[in-house]
Amino acid sequence: MQAKALGYPDLPIAVVPHPFGMLRRDQIHEVARKCAADIAALLCKGTDAGVITGPAAAQSALVAVSEDHDAINALFRERRWSDGLPVVPPTRERVSRMLRSTARRPEEIIAYLAPGFGAATVERIAVNAVMAGCEPDYLPVLLAAVEAVAAPEFNLQGIQSTTHSASVWLIVSGPVARALGMNAGPNCLGQGNWANATLGRALRLILQNVGRAWPGEMDRATAGQPGKYSFCCAENEAESPWEPLHVERGLSPEQSAVTVVGAEGTTNMNIHSKNADQMLSVFADSMQRPAGNDFRTGGDPWVILSPEHAGVLQAAGLSKADVKQRLWDRSKLRARRMTDLDLEHAQHARRPELGEIFPDTMLPICTSPGKLGIIVAGGPGTHSVYVASFGNTCSVTREVMTGATLPA
Amino acid sequence: MTNTLFVMDPVAPHGMAAQPTRRVLSSLKETVVGFVDNSKPNFDFLAEEIGRVLMSEHGVKAVEMRRKRVASIAVSDEFMTELADRCDVVITGSGD
Repeated sequence: MQAKALGYPDLPIAVVPHPFGMLRRDQIHEVARKCAADIAALLCKGTDAGVITGPAAAQSALVAVSEDHDAINALFRERRWSDGLPVVPPTRERVSRMLRSTARRPEEIIAYLAPGFGAATVERIAVNAVMAGCEPDYLPVLLAAVEAVAAPEFNLQGIQSTTHSASVWLIVSGPVARALGMNAGPNCLGQGNWANATLGRALRLILQNVGRAWPGEMDRATAGQPGKYSFCCAENEAESPWEPLHVERGLSPEQSAVTVVGAEGTTNMNIHSKNADQMLSVFADSMQRPAGNDFRTGGDPWVILSPEHAGVLQAAGLSKADVKQRLWDRSKLRARRMTDLDLEHAQHARRPELGEIFPDTMLPICTSPGKLGIIVAGGPGTHSVYVASFGNTCSVTREVMTGATLPA
Repeated sequence: MTNTLFVMDPVAPHGMAAQPTRRVLSSLKETVVGFVDNSKPNFDFLAEEIGRVLMSEHGVKAVEMRRKRVASIAVSDEFMTELADRCDVVITGSGD
């Protein structure tokens, strides 16, 4: 499927039965003989392929459906356009209203999204935004989010097509989060807030429908995770003792931004201690996950500090950079805690960064303390959250451009 | 009788620019075959075995092996150019 997306519909492919990683060496030999024969046949078959011209970024087609709620959702289920939940029908009127929130032309291509490399036009983004239930003034956030996920360093190709559970966590910071009424406080990662829920959902629909990553097809997730429905929150700037994320990343406080993270999932860290040193040590222990990708490849891990925990750390005189340094130092994992095969993988993947890795090498969770992401979010309580990453990814921040709307 | 509603298709078609042609080989005899090991378990063994069979049973002259650092990140253009310059065919793997 991806070969076709990239303009090679006749790419010769020899298929090896799955699962392959568990085969013995003698079994591999038999598979190899058959595979070699298939390869020889495929490479010498057919005629030279002509130049393939990909389709233009076509405007979204109109599809007729009975104006009946059940019929509409039946259509979306049959065509796999939904995420498994009912949708808001993306009529031309609703999409036009959505498009009034930006001055960008509907046919403008924001990005081509892996793994299917469909064109994410402003219009197509708006269609998926309507389906998700977004209000029109959410659209600029989504446009920035699509730009962000398409950045090469984010590795959308890997995140979309992996067997890993990775989802895209969307963080919104700056004035736009307040303007849209986003939740940065109690239950900010959970249900209930319209903007949080629909923005995360819209991004997932875009990744599926425009990136063409349908489960079981180019989305190869073994189990996936609930965050693949929606994973979006605002940063609790009001209760953070430090500069907000978008300022840390070079924007002014008056600007707004989205940050996308290739997230494995969430792990709650319930710490009652008011001793900053103890707190950081236990956080670090909680981040040591031999089965996670972060230590295997050097990842992009994040910590969501509750306001209470952030307050304890700040009262101890710690800056955000200090917290990152201590977490990075204390979360190092002894390499022998991995399985032999995963240790081999880490040895290969991290040799350029760390040199030779031995069983007693202490592996850092990411390449440097600065790579560790921290935001303050959530409500009252002694619960912070560790968000492990997909590993081979870097979070990306993009400014949200607002203010320009078309006349009604 | 219900009315008809028109909804907009949210799906993007595949879309990339024109790609270069693929050359069909008349035979594998005297060719150099390259492998890009995606670093997943057993791929290196599979590639070695396929290479051996291609040489012993299909007349391939030589095999060039290269290994990715990690599976989910594409190799650089320089990596591919170097390998493509040395090979008539390059084989890679996708999946576990």
